[in-house]
Amino acid sequence: MNFDFTPVWENIPTLISGTGYTLFIALFAAILSLVGGLVVALTTLYGKKIFSSPLRLFIWLFMGTPLLLQLYLLYFGLGQVGILIPALLTGILGLGIHYMAYNADIFRATLQSIDNGQTEAARSLGFGRMQTLWFFIVPQAIYRALPQLGNNMIIMLKDTSVLSVIGVSELVLNAQFEISNTFRPFEFYIAIAVIYYILNLMLETSLNLFEKKLEGKR
Amino acid sequence: MMEDQPRSDTNKNSGLMLDIINVKKSFGELEVLKGIDLQVQRGQIVSIIGSSGSGKSTLLRSINHLETIDSGEIWLDGMRVNQPDMKGLAFERHINSVRQNMGMVFQQFNLFPHLTTLDNVRLAPIKIKGMAKPEATEYCMELLEKVGLADKADTFPAHLSGGQKQRVAIARALAMQPKVMLFDEATSALDPELVEEVNQVMKQLAHEHMTMLIVTHEMNFANEVSDHVLFMDQGVVCEQGPPSQLFTNPKEERTKSFLKKHLEQQ
Amino acid sequence: MDFTLMWEITPLLLKAAWVTVTISVMAFILGLFVATVLVIMRSSSFRIIRWPARIYISVMRGTPFFVQLLIFYYGGSAFGINLDAYMAGLLAMGLNIGAYMSEAIRGSLVAVDSGQNEASRSLGFSRTQTMISVILPQAAGLMIRSLGVLSVILIKGSSLVSIISVVELTYQAQRIISSTYKPFEVFAVSAVLYLILIYGVISFVDWLYNRYTRYLFH
Repeated sequence: MNFDFTPVWENIPTLISGTGYTLFIALFAAILSLVGGLVVALTTLYGKKIFSSPLRLFIWLFMGTPLLLQLYLLYFGLGQVGILIPALLTGILGLGIHYMAYNADIFRATLQSIDNGQTEAARSLGFGRMQTLWFFIVPQAIYRALPQLGNNMIIMLKDTSVLSVIGVSELVLNAQFEISNTFRPFEFYIAIAVIYYILNLMLETSLNLFEKKLEGKR
Repeated sequence: MMEDQPRSDTNKNSGLMLDIINVKKSFGELEVLKGIDLQVQRGQIVSIIGSSGSGKSTLLRSINHLETIDSGEIWLDGMRVNQPDMKGLAFERHINSVRQNMGMVFQQFNLFPHLTTLDNVRLAPIKIKGMAKPEATEYCMELLEKVGLADKADTFPAHLSGGQKQRVAIARALAMQPKVMLFDEATSALDPELVEEVNQVMKQLAHEHMTMLIVTHEMNFANEVSDHVLFMDQGVVCEQGPPSQLFTNPKEERTKSFLKKHLEQQ
Repeated sequence: MDFTLMWEITPLLLKAAWVTVTISVMAFILGLFVATVLVIMRSSSFRIIRWPARIYISVMRGTPFFVQLLIFYYGGSAFGINLDAYMAGLLAMGLNIGAYMSEAIRGSLVAVDSGQNEASRSLGFSRTQTMISVILPQAAGLMIRSLGVLSVILIKGSSLVSIISVVELTYQAQRIISSTYKPFEVFAVSAVLYLILIYGVISFVDWLYNRYTRYLFH
């Protein structure tokens, strides 16, 4: 057994900066996937046919294929049509679009579950269709979706690691750079596993606290 | 406490089916059974009444060890049920064999939903008693006849009414040929019009001299069917006696107020 | 859309898809073994047996699968072991999914009403007989569903073993894209294959679930 963790300690700044990028990417991908997911869900349920059908196909397609394959499509596809964007942005887009499909699926389910009784109640009070949607259905649907959305965010944070494959400079890629210098793959990968574990724990705890706080307000 | 050999001999001879001696149980800080003594003779029908929290269900469930007791002794026909000194696999083997002699009927029926009515009844005789399938089928069909549900043999519990489910549950318990039947509020979860069919079955059992211990809210039924009634209140047996005496002329104040409240509700 | 290309690459991608299928199936079986061991460990009365299982599950679920895969493949050098890519991939997949499966199995067992256990024990059934004849058949329905969901996750996760050069579907797709510069066509065919696999599994699981729980229906 041949362990030597000193290169890891020596390269902590790289690991920290990698972690920073990971969090940055996760945050923006999360925002994109949540907002986008809600928009897509609303469009598929209430929008015009020409928009809703392709979007339903989008959800089905992106939930039924691996993230990595989608990233290859985005990465090579953008290059094909001549669009050059920094890897970081490609990463955020790829991750964000992937989870947009999952979140849209969740929002569709919660919107439909709220819609039934609530719509009748609101409409009989005299609220118009758009108002009913906006003031009654959407807020409740979002609230009901929170636990599952939270779960998705936890999974997404771990999936940022896959972005290393298309050259996004997050934690794994940064670590791999140092591995190629020091030839200590095991030690570095264990170190980043520990970092991910801690990040995961922090995210889970924050989400739990957030949910509890919301329940208190209700 | 040491097992007293002489006691078991006396129990067998005297026709004493259940001997409950100074049973105590607490749930954490709360003492639920404060030293209960009860003797049930072979063939005797005993009803236990009392408000919720009086400990009556806990007492019943202690008899077949679904609840463990903190101190005291429980004897079934000369066999000791609770064994504080036995542990692990030895105790498990002991309690499994003791339980074969007791049948329990639950408020929530607890039929096995993945099995047909017939399978519910014959599962235990086949798997535990090792009865051959044709023999067990014949025997269990007779039991279903007895409770009036032979035509539902191949139905799943989900398609039965509450009263039907409970009758199947009774047949299931009877299939093991128990020495005593324990009824834990058997009709409390039933719609009023379904209660009578279950009461009929229970009356039939009583008529056939099955030893029965019945925890119930149904005063009229208890009055009709029991030989002996126990009124429990806050973990003690407040009063006991034959129904003719307890229901019409209770001695204790608490018994009087409980019966009064109950008659007002009914 | 270059349909000729799509036609030409299909046999190649089909062959690679078969690798995806085989590695996923084997990882599923390995996962079941791991999960069974974990469930038994977690129900032990001894803390010294329960705790390692809990830690294992927490770590496997709290760190990215990709990182676990890299540890298995590259990390072996620290121990003097060199696993080939397929074995490393299979092991990583099985050990990872096993942790999730154990939680799914436990969840299904716990979901069975406690009255069932009481009724069975009061008839005189032992703990083991109760588990086999009463609890397990009822938990199976839920288990089928959860394990079905995990199978889909497994298939999508298999795409990551392409990174360590296992010639499965995503690997082959990436190679073809790199040599033909036609990401959309390659994505289209690969996506169809993944969709067939995934929605095939979903339909199978639904059918199995319906068969198994017909006692609940009229």
